[in-house]
Amino acid sequence: MEFVGSASTQSCITQKRGRRVYGDDRDFKSKNLTAERRRREKLSNRLLTLRSLVPIITNMNKATIVEDAITYIEKLQMTVKVLSDQLLEMESSSEESERPRNDEINAAEEMKKHGIEEKVEVTNVDGCKLWIRIISEKKRSRITKFLEAMASHGFELSDTNVTTFKGATLISSCLNGVYSYKIEAEQVKELLQEIIKSI
Amino acid sequence: MQTDRRQPPDNHPKMYEETGCFDPNSMAEGGDDGISQSVKHHKEDDAAVSAIELELQKHLAFNVEDTHTQSISINSNTHSIHDPANQNHQILPPYEHSHSNWDSGVVSADHMGGFDQNENDQSQQSFINTDISSSFAQSQTPPLLNLLQFPRCTTSSMLPPNSSISFTNPDHHFPVPPPTSTDVLYDPLFHLNLPPQPQPPLFRELFQSIPHGYSFPASASRAAANSLFGEIGDERDATGAFYEDGDVGVHLDNRVLEFSRDLGCIGRRRETAGKPTKHFATERQRREQLNGKFKALKDLVPNPTKNDRASVVGDAIEYIKELLRTVNELKLLVEKKRCVRERRKRHRTEDDDEGMKPLVDPADQSYNSSLRSSWLQRKSKDTEVDVRIIDDEVTIKLVQRKKIDCLLFVSRVLDELQLDLHHVAGGHIGDYYSFLFNTKIYEGSSVYAGSIANKLIEVMDKQYAAVPPTSCAY
Repeated sequence: MEFVGSASTQSCITQKRGRRVYGDDRDFKSKNLTAERRRREKLSNRLLTLRSLVPIITNMNKATIVEDAITYIEKLQMTVKVLSDQLLEMESSSEESERPRNDEINAAEEMKKHGIEEKVEVTNVDGCKLWIRIISEKKRSRITKFLEAMASHGFELSDTNVTTFKGATLISSCLNGVYSYKIEAEQVKELLQEIIKSI
Repeated sequence: MQTDRRQPPDNHPKMYEETGCFDPNSMAEGGDDGISQSVKHHKEDDAAVSAIELELQKHLAFNVEDTHTQSISINSNTHSIHDPANQNHQILPPYEHSHSNWDSGVVSADHMGGFDQNENDQSQQSFINTDISSSFAQSQTPPLLNLLQFPRCTTSSMLPPNSSISFTNPDHHFPVPPPTSTDVLYDPLFHLNLPPQPQPPLFRELFQSIPHGYSFPASASRAAANSLFGEIGDERDATGAFYEDGDVGVHLDNRVLEFSRDLGCIGRRRETAGKPTKHFATERQRREQLNGKFKALKDLVPNPTKNDRASVVGDAIEYIKELLRTVNELKLLVEKKRCVRERRKRHRTEDDDEGMKPLVDPADQSYNSSLRSSWLQRKSKDTEVDVRIIDDEVTIKLVQRKKIDCLLFVSRVLDELQLDLHHVAGGHIGDYYSFLFNTKIYEGSSVYAGSIANKLIEVMDKQYAAVPPTSCAY
């Protein structure tokens, strides 16, 4: 029976900490009681919320709420999977869209309309740091290509910002050379202009 | 002693734990303790009883009375094991495996009582064990339980009286040393040198994979969860638990032997003495089962944060909301795609007829009028992604530990996903990169929030893995 006894004691401990009588039982009990009560309320509120979300509920006790939630989540996950597979299948069997071309054409026109010109500016800032600003026509995947070009030349870009406005893309960034020799602003400017032209 | 809580007749063999107070007479009553009904009708019950006692003394499970081997097996629910013809020494490997584990821990007496399903039993084998289990397995086991492959140690009913039968955890105690003199814990299967069964972890998985939708009997699942942790010398008294949940009518309950941790020993039958222990055992099992459920919930959620119950529930709430959003988004996308297809088909077939176009558009409008919106977050070890979609604009927030040039990779991914990058802002913040991307979805692409987030996380993690963990060149 001792075993049982100790086990039940343990259960007591886990379940109702306040009940255990220690030396300074008063304090212990009250301090913990409040905290414990709050904890329980928090859990119970959340369980109520969970229950409100799940449409199919069987019983209304803690265990079944959790069970029902598990079932529901699994069901939803299955639905998501089915739908996304369906979408993939539809995607693969559908035709390519022709739209992107239109966007690009529009971009060039927009720029002209608003008088935005392509521009590359490079300024020396603090030793081997350069600040660059590029305005170029917005093209599909241009930014990616630009970033790749930068990486391949060994430039590190920090504090990059890109924004798009009326068919033009503005890239401003801080450039650090990986090889920490002083980079001439002019050289970089020419380099960048070439890059922009090529992408 | 009378096993008071004998199960109601027939098809509700309940708990086998009741074994403690096994009452041989009750067998005569036709204990349905999971034994197929035929047992009840077995005329040789008495013989069986005596045989059981005999067995007990011998600590051998073998001499199951052949008499006892009933006819039980003949039941339709059949396992091939029960085929009297051949099964004598052939134990169906799966069954044996599935049951032997349990059986190893089970009092041999069980096997005793066990029905040697084969009439001709010469079972000097664990065969009995399998039979026992199989007998349960077959008779009114719902298909689900079969699936679960719980070793049905149904033999509780067959346990000899006053044995404090301990069910041991087959995993841990194999073989089981007999705890007391009265206990018969000799594992008849032992000599067969069966390989240790991977049952317990299997149970847990099974338990967790059990579809909960049909109100899985708490007791049964508890048994499943707890059986893994049964200790030697535990009395099976968990019956209290079963009854508490009142899942009397459910077959499942009865099929799973519940191992009580309670050493109090008294069988369920002895209510008086067992009351406090019974209650305690129930409570503990209930708690454990509940904890198991919480853990299962936690495992379902993609980004578990803390491990305490309240946070698990909180995460689950958020996840359910996210799943609902995703489902809506996907439905909308599928609808849109379908309608675009329809439109294309119509255009193709009605090329000449310009007049049709305007008609098509309004139909389209109704489908596309609902604004698509969706939001989700994903976290991985080094990356956090937050994707929000409204109509065709996607806003992505990315926080990443500073290690690689993430802009480039993200930009590539976005191109792959057919997202048009309009705006990027961000930079270094302490140890991390933090970026905000505003993009537009190109026409015709049907990405959804989940796919974007997953792809980003995947690429980022791959890059991290690829980078040697040394230099942070910055």
